[in-house]
Amino acid sequence: MQLTDKKNVKALLLTATTTLLGTASVQAAETKADEWQFDTALMYYGETDRVTAVEAIIAGSKQFGNDEILSLKLTVDTLTGASANGAVAQNTPQTFTRPSGKGQYQIKAGETPLDDTFKDTRLQLTGQWTQPLTERDIWSIGGNLSKEYDYFSAAINSNIARDFNKKNTTVSAGVSFAFDQIDPEGGIPNAFHTMLIGDVDSSNFASDFDATRKESGDDKTTVDLLLGLTQVINRNMLVQLNYSYSASSGYMTDPFKVLSVVDQQGISQTYLYENRPDSRKKHAFFGQVKYHFDTTILDTSYRYMMDDWEIDSHTVDTKYIIPLANGHTIEPHFRFYTQTAAEFYKPFLLEGQVIPQFASADYRIGEMDAMTIGMKYGIPLSDGEHLSFRIAYYQQSPKSDGTQAVGQLNDLELYSKVDAIMAQISYSF
Amino acid sequence: MASPCEVLIDCNDKLLANNIASAIAKEAWRIEDKYSRYNIQSVCGQLNEKAGQSCAIDNETFLLLQFADQCFQISNGLFDITSGILRKIWHFDCSDNIPTQKEVSHLLPFIGWSKTSLTDATFTMLPNMEIDLGGIGKEYAVDKAILIAKKMSTYPTLINFGGDIAVTGPRNENQAWLIGVEHPSLKEKNNVMVKIKTGAIATSGDANRYLLKNGKRYGHVLNVKTGWSVEEPPNAITVAAPQCIQAGFLATLALLHGKDAELFLSDQDIKYWAIR
Repeated sequence: MQLTDKKNVKALLLTATTTLLGTASVQAAETKADEWQFDTALMYYGETDRVTAVEAIIAGSKQFGNDEILSLKLTVDTLTGASANGAVAQNTPQTFTRPSGKGQYQIKAGETPLDDTFKDTRLQLTGQWTQPLTERDIWSIGGNLSKEYDYFSAAINSNIARDFNKKNTTVSAGVSFAFDQIDPEGGIPNAFHTMLIGDVDSSNFASDFDATRKESGDDKTTVDLLLGLTQVINRNMLVQLNYSYSASSGYMTDPFKVLSVVDQQGISQTYLYENRPDSRKKHAFFGQVKYHFDTTILDTSYRYMMDDWEIDSHTVDTKYIIPLANGHTIEPHFRFYTQTAAEFYKPFLLEGQVIPQFASADYRIGEMDAMTIGMKYGIPLSDGEHLSFRIAYYQQSPKSDGTQAVGQLNDLELYSKVDAIMAQISYSF
Repeated sequence: MASPCEVLIDCNDKLLANNIASAIAKEAWRIEDKYSRYNIQSVCGQLNEKAGQSCAIDNETFLLLQFADQCFQISNGLFDITSGILRKIWHFDCSDNIPTQKEVSHLLPFIGWSKTSLTDATFTMLPNMEIDLGGIGKEYAVDKAILIAKKMSTYPTLINFGGDIAVTGPRNENQAWLIGVEHPSLKEKNNVMVKIKTGAIATSGDANRYLLKNGKRYGHVLNVKTGWSVEEPPNAITVAAPQCIQAGFLATLALLHGKDAELFLSDQDIKYWAIR
């Protein structure tokens, strides 16, 4: 049979249909399997008087003919501001040497010592390839590279998921290896070495400072294992359970943090660079329930994490997704977090006492509660585009682990709260 | 529509979903009542009844017949809504009961869109001719349903009238709709999985409707010019197009190209899934 003349059937049909249906322009219909989809986000995080971070994310994913998916994500963030250096507040002004050895900074009486030299730009690239192996097995492999001025991180991961029970049950297992390298300006301080404070302009200050530290950087490796189970309970309910194990070894000390050594009156005598163990093993248990009510969705999760540093933490996270009549969604969010202190956490050291093997005054590994209250508003646009706004208030409340304050420390704020605001705009197209 | 029809709405608003579904059902029944060739009271039934006379038509009927006219032109006369009367002699019941050339030749004078005349207010065909909107009516209903869905909400919606399918856009979170194309002629293992984010798909073909005589197979796809079965068409073909009525026409037209069905579609850069 003779083929239709070489005329453009599609174009002719388009005209015919436009007349019939009174529709104006019509888009191409094919699977769009060869098109990229993008998610972009701009996030602001600001702590009162402390760190400010601005982050831009662009993520693209592309689906191929046999359901393979390639996802790539580029994140750029800049961090500026001040962060607690670990020393305790005093009734008198304090002077600290910057971690680089180049210059000093003063802290006013009564204030929590903050090191204001934080300024960094981080570039992170993530890639993931996912493909079905059989009708019920999905396999995925990915990698992650992250670089900032004094830090480099690389990781690879792979996981596999299998569906059972008419796809109502999914079991997954994954593994990842990460390598991190830190190379701070001015080198890494020797454990528990005294912070050198003196005349930075003197001719021998630089060589004296260098004597307190190693020239080179250091690194750590981390292995993570993950087991997961997802179960569809009924039309309205989905449950997910995860167990993960993480083992890190290498340098995990924060080279920018110190501990105050105080006398019986609570007066700082010296500042010692902190020292943490070179191995850490974590276990985490995670449970999540998503319940679809008639119109709304409740998404609640709980995580219990414990490690051999003796930090135990509990996290409860709840989101409630409420669709509005106009197709927009509103999503209140609440998160509560609490942790116990690491076994070697010390808010300060007492003069004359034996220095322990490990010690850190970093409030982030001390006893702490944290809470997030937020709200997200989503607006679906035409052609599958989506716009959303999120705003959240975050509060960290460090607490005493029971260490008895001495002298003037009784009247000073040792565990100051951190308040932060997060704002995010996301656009998918 | 003589087949299961469904409306899928990706949303949580049950009330609105119900309203949309009722409006669409109402529209589907309206089109069915207006254009079913089985209903002698329908516009289509009346036009067939009054073949030979000049009949007044409304604007919607004019637009549909004009579309059929354009399909006839685009297909160089292969797609012809006056071909339905061939069913009087072709009964695809898997028997060996094929018509004689004499029977076929006897009907050919009453087939041919070019023997009709259409104005924006009247339609005329020769006595004993018949029109059948079967090839485009259901797909037209799907496209009309999509217009209603889009007007009533921005929620992602899929319309499925017996395998003729269209969507208003991607599902939530820009997900594609995953559609399993089931068809009487497809064995279960042959079911085609199709993903669409926009546009429509339609399927033509029925491998269960054929005649077999002296080892020769006569499929149900008939060439209007000869009145005989088209040779070696695919068992079924699913075509994607911006709108369902286009997909339906293209699927039917592809089958009419017989063994060259796939060639025709790929030549025109049209996305399709064929089962042979």
